[in-house]
Amino acid sequence: MKPPRTALALVIFTLLLLFGAADALAAAPKAAFDSDKMADMSDFDPNNPVIPTGDTIKIAVVASFSGPAAVVGQIYFISVQWAAHDINKRGGIMVDGKRKMIEVIKANHASQPAETKKVAERMVLQEKVHVLWGTDGSHLMKVINQVADKYKVIAHTTAALSDELYDETSFSRYSFMSSFSTEQIGRAAAYYYGKVRKKEKKFYILGQDYLFGHSLADGFKKGLKEYYPEAVLLGEDYHPLFMKDFAPYLQKIKASGAEVIFTGDWIPDAENLLVQARQMGITLPFANLFLDEPNMLHRVGVDGTSGLVHVSQYGSEGGFFKTPGQTKAYKAWNTLWKTKWAAPYNTRLYEHGTGNIGSYIQQTYWLLSVIERAGSTDPEKIIKVWEGDSYQLLNGKVLTMRACDHKAIQDLHVEEYVPPAKQRESFNIAPYFWYEGTSSVGPSVMIPAKSVLPKMDRTLARCKDKSEAGE
Amino acid sequence: MDPTTAMYVAQGVHGLAYGMLLFLVASGLTMVFGMMGILNIAHASFFMLSAYFSYQVLAVFGSFWLALLVAPVVAAVLGVLCERLLLRRVHAFGHMGELILTVGISLVILEGVKVFWGTESLPIHVPAILEGRLALGGLDYPVYRLFVIGLALVVLGVLAALLYTTRLGMVVRAAVSDSGMVNALGVNVPLVFMLVFGTGTWLAGVAGVVIAPILTVYPGLADQMGMDAFVVVVTGGLGSLWGAFLVSVILGELNAYGVQFVSQLAPVLMFLFMAIVLAFRPMGLFGERE
Amino acid sequence: MTPTALRWIGGSLALAALLAYPYLFGIYFTNVFVTFGIFALYAVSFNLLLGFTGLLSFGHAMFFGAGGYGTALALTHFKSLPLLPALVIGVAAAVALALVLSPLMVRVSGTAFSMLHLAFAQLMYVLALKLRAVTGGEDGIGGFRIPPFRIPGLVSVDMKDPSSFYYFAAAVLGLSVFVLWFVTKTPFGSVMVGLRDNPNRVAYLGFRVPQTKAVVYLLSAGFAGVAGAVYALFQNLVSADALHVLNSFTPVTMTMIGGVGSFFGPILGAAIFGVISELTSRYTERVELVVGLILILVIMYAPQGFMGFVNAARARARARFAPGGATELVR
Repeated sequence: MKPPRTALALVIFTLLLLFGAADALAAAPKAAFDSDKMADMSDFDPNNPVIPTGDTIKIAVVASFSGPAAVVGQIYFISVQWAAHDINKRGGIMVDGKRKMIEVIKANHASQPAETKKVAERMVLQEKVHVLWGTDGSHLMKVINQVADKYKVIAHTTAALSDELYDETSFSRYSFMSSFSTEQIGRAAAYYYGKVRKKEKKFYILGQDYLFGHSLADGFKKGLKEYYPEAVLLGEDYHPLFMKDFAPYLQKIKASGAEVIFTGDWIPDAENLLVQARQMGITLPFANLFLDEPNMLHRVGVDGTSGLVHVSQYGSEGGFFKTPGQTKAYKAWNTLWKTKWAAPYNTRLYEHGTGNIGSYIQQTYWLLSVIERAGSTDPEKIIKVWEGDSYQLLNGKVLTMRACDHKAIQDLHVEEYVPPAKQRESFNIAPYFWYEGTSSVGPSVMIPAKSVLPKMDRTLARCKDKSEAGE
Repeated sequence: MDPTTAMYVAQGVHGLAYGMLLFLVASGLTMVFGMMGILNIAHASFFMLSAYFSYQVLAVFGSFWLALLVAPVVAAVLGVLCERLLLRRVHAFGHMGELILTVGISLVILEGVKVFWGTESLPIHVPAILEGRLALGGLDYPVYRLFVIGLALVVLGVLAALLYTTRLGMVVRAAVSDSGMVNALGVNVPLVFMLVFGTGTWLAGVAGVVIAPILTVYPGLADQMGMDAFVVVVTGGLGSLWGAFLVSVILGELNAYGVQFVSQLAPVLMFLFMAIVLAFRPMGLFGERE
Repeated sequence: MTPTALRWIGGSLALAALLAYPYLFGIYFTNVFVTFGIFALYAVSFNLLLGFTGLLSFGHAMFFGAGGYGTALALTHFKSLPLLPALVIGVAAAVALALVLSPLMVRVSGTAFSMLHLAFAQLMYVLALKLRAVTGGEDGIGGFRIPPFRIPGLVSVDMKDPSSFYYFAAAVLGLSVFVLWFVTKTPFGSVMVGLRDNPNRVAYLGFRVPQTKAVVYLLSAGFAGVAGAVYALFQNLVSADALHVLNSFTPVTMTMIGGVGSFFGPILGAAIFGVISELTSRYTERVELVVGLILILVIMYAPQGFMGFVNAARARARARFAPGGATELVR
């Protein structure tokens, strides 16, 4: 009879419509960074920041502001203050019926867990901050999350990368992670080599001998199994932090016949590793996370840095400047860097405001957007808005906050470093290169979010029945 | 040489190169500690300061050799000033006083370095003449590291010659052994000690300039090298140049071959070695003082 | 009023202040006080070796860390372990470490003693980093259950509440300091001082020096372990930082600033350090500069520490106001 077949067709048609609609609905972010609304930033000076006082929305930037790692605090501060300055010049945010400005407060943890606890508590109990933003070092972020959980204050993980921060033992519903995380980074690199590049097959892992180094390596190995089964892992070594002489490790790698070295090392290990490798005549490319620091790149030069493969949380396929808004926002920063800022912000590190700095700025805009839409600094209201929220960054990327474990679902990018003449592919406005003295971002490949969903701890009760996409 | 042998030999040379780097830093420290009994935590800070000075000289004059000449001397002068004005006064309070003072000095140097040169890492290149690699019978070895080995050996030779064949060296050794007697004989003991301290710091300065092209020059450089230098000095014997040399080489080789064969354990080997040596000879391998 | 009466009143006031502290100053400063207490005990235990027995240890952090890790590991692996046993396990770990090392350590003194401690403490530090599966490496062990303080059938106090923890910590640390003070006042305490000043004489008097040193060593290590265990409970985290050489230097500087020769010097030093730390963290990023300058100035101009300062002032005051004393000086 006809009716069943028609009914079936109708059902299928409706389902398709729904899925299609759902897909379309899911694709549109709930909010976006609108560069047209950006205020005039020409008075922004990180050395003389305009910090409002009184009844403000207080964000504590918890980081190393003293000691050997003081540069990290400087980077975080300028990033958060940029976003805050912009929003303040637009008139602040309407919360709890009043227009309030954003006040950024520096909280120095001197790279120590005990000090982190103390300063986080001081921020919460005495300065009465609304958000704890941070930090360099997942073991320190863990402490911050504990303080946030205890005193019911929002914590925003923007720079720590460890998956373990949101597992069953450490999860706090007050903490949100908008940065990428270790396992997905490793998988993204593997995806790139296996699904996109499809060239080199022999890998060697050289990581730092602590949780981060091992987790990253595990993520890479998992990714290789999933996306590149033909790959061969010739060896893996883990060196102590702040290693001085990499020569013995490099000798092993050289002898193994590896084609690519995968490493998550950060400075100074990253710089020492790269410099010493090139001095030893090892020209192998490094698949890396932190070999993007311009001082180090310039030290090694164009040839030594060509071919580096960098996993980025702020990449852009097909050119960084696709819209007038993106060019405008970039120029706002770059012009100030060229003409106005004084030491320490006038070094190469701050020239472009992209890369990690760009990511920190955009993550802060997301935070502020959430607060604005919550219309309140009440943590419960912020949590309600942020869980499941999605936000589009300046570079077009959309971040979605997975509701069950507060991790961000996002596309990642893998960038290949090329000589200045070829950097046009990503730096598609005059002068068509990032740096003259070193290789830098050329082709930038998008790794789709669904292939690199952040690790979910199924033993976390909230996530028990959820899929990795958060449903 | 077949590739596997070449790799083992290369590791051996790597160990030697790193050992020599260690020796350059530690030699000054053992002289000061052993010969004057001064516990100088700031030794590695002068090492780092010299690396920064060399960057400055390179930035202005462009000559690595000029930097090698000038930077260690500047560091030495600063070191001597510290000795003259500060250390001398706390010597009476023993090791604890020296520890506190030199920790204070190292902290001030750390901050000073950040103020003058910033918090980011500074680029220093291998001088053009020493770039590249040498093919030694199947082995492809960086020339600069060979330079480091050579320089360290020259330093050792010159120091040993000075100490054991010249009159000045004799006076220094005597002053260390019994400063009262030497003073009574009319020798200006404080001047001798100042000379020793200056030379020790100068050696650290040389190490700083030499290491700069290989290692990242950043404010944490002193912390990186400091502990290793102490291990060498303490294990080799306070005041013993030969002890420092031997232990430096041993530690370098332990590191290289440790990474090659038991890479999981490599970082522990250094301290295990130190603990074992000290358990049997608390004064270090060749130590004799006190 | 007699000096004794004054002392009683002063003591009672201090005790009252101590009891009311959390309510007077709030959570943050309560926690600051607990930190002060922990490091005060740590420094006092260190000074037992230095000030009283003449042994300068550059590796005291290993006992502090042993206490911390012992407690943390116990609470991580034994899910229903009560509070006091967890503490005791931490202390036992520190004492065990000291027992293992004592045969070697009691036979050396002077520079060798200091360096040996530096060596072994560094070895512990590197091992803690290396044995990540056990110690958590850089990240350490954290998030373990903090058991309540329970007297079965009577009371159960939640130790996660800062005020409650304050009272618990104050009691434990205070008791520890008292025990150590008491020890220094006994004949054994005199023997300790004798060991510092003239070990040969002490030996001739019939005391067995190595064994005596061993007892002091175990006491010192054990109480450093108490400090470490309380630290682990307080932070709910213990990482390799507790074993780092900087943590070995901390009691040295505190003792020096407070005054080596006196029992209470290290406590004073810990307090001064706490104040300096609070001030620098609030008002400057140039933390190293400030601390470095303070260290240099103090060692150069006040090497006897704060207590030395106080004692010198007291001696001057006594000389001035003693009968006939002032006129003697004037002439």
